[in-house]
Amino acid sequence: MSSEPTTLLQGTLDLLILKSLVAGEKHGLGVSRRIQQLTGGTFVVKPGSLFPALHRMEEEGWISSLWGDSENNRRAKYYRLTKAGLKQLEAETERWGRISLAIGQALEAS
Amino acid sequence: MPLLMKVRSLVRNLFFLRRVETDLELEVHSHLELLIEENIRAGMTPPEAQRVARIELGGVEQVKEQVRDRRIGNWLRSVLSDCRYGLRQLRKSPGATTVMVFTLALAIGAVTAIFSVVYGVLLRPLPYTDASRIMAVFEVNSKGTWSRVADPNFDDFRDQNRSFQAIAKYADNAASVSGTSQPTRTTIAGVSADFLKVFGIQPILGRDFSAGDAKKGAGPTVLVSFGYWRQYLGSSPDLGQLHLKIDGAVYSVIGVLPAGFHFPQDADLWLPADLDGENPSRTSHNYSAVGRLRDGATVEQANADISAIARRIHLTSSEQNDYLLKDGAVVPLQDSITGKARPALLVLLGAVGFLLLVACANVANLLLAQASERERELAIRSALGAARGRLIRQLLTEALLLSLAGGSLGVLGAFWGVSGLIALAPQNLPRLDSVSINIPVLVFALLLATAVAAGLGTFTAARATSGDLRKGLVEAGRGQAGSQGGQRVGRVIVVAQIAITLVLVVGAGLLGRSLVNVLEVNPGFRVDNIVTMDVSLPWVDDPKAKAGQAIFFSRLIDRLKQIPGVRKIGATSGLPMDGGLPDGMFLLMTQNEIPKNLDGFDHLFQQKERIGNAGFCVATGGYFQVLGIPLIRGRIFDDHDGPDSPHVAVVSESLARDRWPKQDPIGHTIEFGNMDGDLRLLTIVGIVGDTHEYGLDAPARPTVYVDLFQRPRAAITLTMLSDADKRSVTSAARGILQDLNPEIPTRFRTFSQVYSASLGSRRFNVILIGFFGITALLLATAGVFGVMAYSVSRRTREIGVRIALGAGASDVLRMILGQGLRTIFMGVAIGIAGSLALTRTVESLLFGVTTTDPLTFSGVTLLIVGAALLACFIPARRATKVVPIVALRYE
Repeated sequence: MSSEPTTLLQGTLDLLILKSLVAGEKHGLGVSRRIQQLTGGTFVVKPGSLFPALHRMEEEGWISSLWGDSENNRRAKYYRLTKAGLKQLEAETERWGRISLAIGQALEAS
Repeated sequence: MPLLMKVRSLVRNLFFLRRVETDLELEVHSHLELLIEENIRAGMTPPEAQRVARIELGGVEQVKEQVRDRRIGNWLRSVLSDCRYGLRQLRKSPGATTVMVFTLALAIGAVTAIFSVVYGVLLRPLPYTDASRIMAVFEVNSKGTWSRVADPNFDDFRDQNRSFQAIAKYADNAASVSGTSQPTRTTIAGVSADFLKVFGIQPILGRDFSAGDAKKGAGPTVLVSFGYWRQYLGSSPDLGQLHLKIDGAVYSVIGVLPAGFHFPQDADLWLPADLDGENPSRTSHNYSAVGRLRDGATVEQANADISAIARRIHLTSSEQNDYLLKDGAVVPLQDSITGKARPALLVLLGAVGFLLLVACANVANLLLAQASERERELAIRSALGAARGRLIRQLLTEALLLSLAGGSLGVLGAFWGVSGLIALAPQNLPRLDSVSINIPVLVFALLLATAVAAGLGTFTAARATSGDLRKGLVEAGRGQAGSQGGQRVGRVIVVAQIAITLVLVVGAGLLGRSLVNVLEVNPGFRVDNIVTMDVSLPWVDDPKAKAGQAIFFSRLIDRLKQIPGVRKIGATSGLPMDGGLPDGMFLLMTQNEIPKNLDGFDHLFQQKERIGNAGFCVATGGYFQVLGIPLIRGRIFDDHDGPDSPHVAVVSESLARDRWPKQDPIGHTIEFGNMDGDLRLLTIVGIVGDTHEYGLDAPARPTVYVDLFQRPRAAITLTMLSDADKRSVTSAARGILQDLNPEIPTRFRTFSQVYSASLGSRRFNVILIGFFGITALLLATAGVFGVMAYSVSRRTREIGVRIALGAGASDVLRMILGQGLRTIFMGVAIGIAGSLALTRTVESLLFGVTTTDPLTFSGVTLLIVGAALLACFIPARRATKVVPIVALRYE
């Protein structure tokens, strides 16, 4: 867990949350850990950013939630990707690709 | 689909908040539990696991608040919660809240009421289509005086202008009208063709005047107002059958104008102008003129246009004298109607605006005192995760609640206030009937309340959230928190309050002194115990018919003399202060100088040493006795002055002095036939005292009086000096007139009514500005008291220490009063400077005082310093009673 928190680019958090849910429904901590894992520990999403984002995305209709039991039989709120969320993920991914390509080119230019 | 989702979330967030909140609570808690579990699995001890988990979570409440901030509908929800919280806050200190709400209600109500008058009179468009395109057209003579238009000049304006699509002239007068259910004295207007076109109206029934109606000698036709048609003509749709007898001649009704159209003021009947032909003189200003601008033409263009035509006339006319136009002027009709009322109304609006500022200052001071009590609360909220913007919004919401409550109460009060204002307003205030609390006025009140809220809220928010809020937590405990800065601001507010109040009271003082000065002017006549009776017979031209009317009046006067209690009786063509007398030029000449034709008169009018200018008043000898106008020399009219004896005149003192400076005017003869068409010379037989016909604040006008029985006229006002009460005299007189001729309309007043109406506008201003001034003074005194009391209570500990160290009661008193005095003097100094700069705006309303009247300034200063010192004295005395031990334990 020795990760150096990096400031997330605007909109990137949404993308990472959507991506983390592709493999199946997760609770808040699960999403957070999955992002940490996916980014090799570069990004640690604090609850103060995570929950507002989750709730907002739920209101946008990209994810839906339901209460369930964790592996240790604890009640937890699980989030799941919706169809709209999947579409959003594709769009975001495509956008991200363009941005990173553009920035990469910019940085490589002499 | 996502939209539907959003709506569902919004509904849930707004209406099922409790469920959403429990859900969030559970979720955050389960997250914490999961974190702890994870940590224990990683090998931590339970307490350590819990600590690390809490650190990672970062505070349950903060996380929840961050989620709430992001929710759909959060804005609305938080506004509602701000309101709820604000209300709770306001309820917490009901005393202060009540004071603030009522202060704001008073101020907002007063501003709203005055604004409704300003709006109704000055701003509300005239009730005509495209009213802003309607202009009034004037002649301007070589002295720069604006006047009505002469017939040939109007014709040139009409034919040569390129700026108006329609231009018309009109003149109104009162006439007796019969042929309907009852005889009436009605305002009729003679109007030229295109009059209706100028106003953009058409008859709702019947037709407009045609070219034929206006021709000389055409069968007389008349248009009637909707109200007149309904009231006197039974709304009969068959106009062909309707005829009116106006001043003795029979007119056919050809059309009914739309409801509400009464231009010129109060007109009910409109006749074609100049049925007897136009007056060829270019210096007889008998008509007013109005025009509707052509599309695309501006007021400036129209002005230049009319001005050029006028200058052309000036160059070519043969009538070169002071009364010939030299220029022309065009102004919007609305401005020409309301222009005279404008300065006074704007001064009133300014004054009530000042009152609002003083009131807001009081509220600001109260809020400031509350805010410093609340520093601790604000600090706690900030520590719990409330952003600074959120706190500012909270304070703004509270201010808005306050001023909306005050504003609504104020508007309710304004409904009363406006009816009071209308009752109090001078009769000559134009367009009073269009004053009411209407939508634009309500919108104004709402904007005003919002502006007040924004001002107050910003002020408290800026004060309360400046600096480090966390310090509030530390300092609030010590009861002295932030007091230094807060008190300084409080004092600045009080300085401003005193300054504004001083300006207001100085203005009221100057106007009040003007009123006193006006009342001290000797009007030149008696006012009390005089009943007046307006009688108008049909207008006639024929000398024989006129003589008959004189006989009628003489019989009427003889009968009225019999009424018990009536001591003296007189008659006049115009009462003083009741609209003024017609005036014109007369000629000094003798019998054998009378020219053979009218051109000879033109020649005489060129001779400066022959002409004089005076008001023309028809009266009986009894008139001077009833009004107590003193005879200076010679005699007044008596029974020997019959229609066939030499015609006589009585002149006023000022005319005698001005026109015959070193001579005795008695015995001289003058020609004044242009006033009534009778060319017989008048021999001056007496000089009487001056009267202020145009109001006490206007100089006495030189006047020529002629004898009613030699120069009869159709409409007169009888004056009866009586010991009996008005009601009995009135009913007896009405009976007598009925008996003599039931067809003659009449109106009764008392002369004191007429007289006090002439002081109406002055009294109106004094009462209102005086009221604003006194209210502001009370508010400012309360403000001084509040700030001083607060300051003393804040300094209790310090004062306790001082007393413990040996300060006496007088030292403490001096210290507190000194502090108060510095504030007061600063306010007074600024106020005096402000008054010197601002009283110039009321200059036109003053009479007999200068704008820098030392007496008013020093009196007002004393008053304000006295009131403010009194307000300081009570807290100062309380300070001397501080018991050191109690004070030091005070925390």
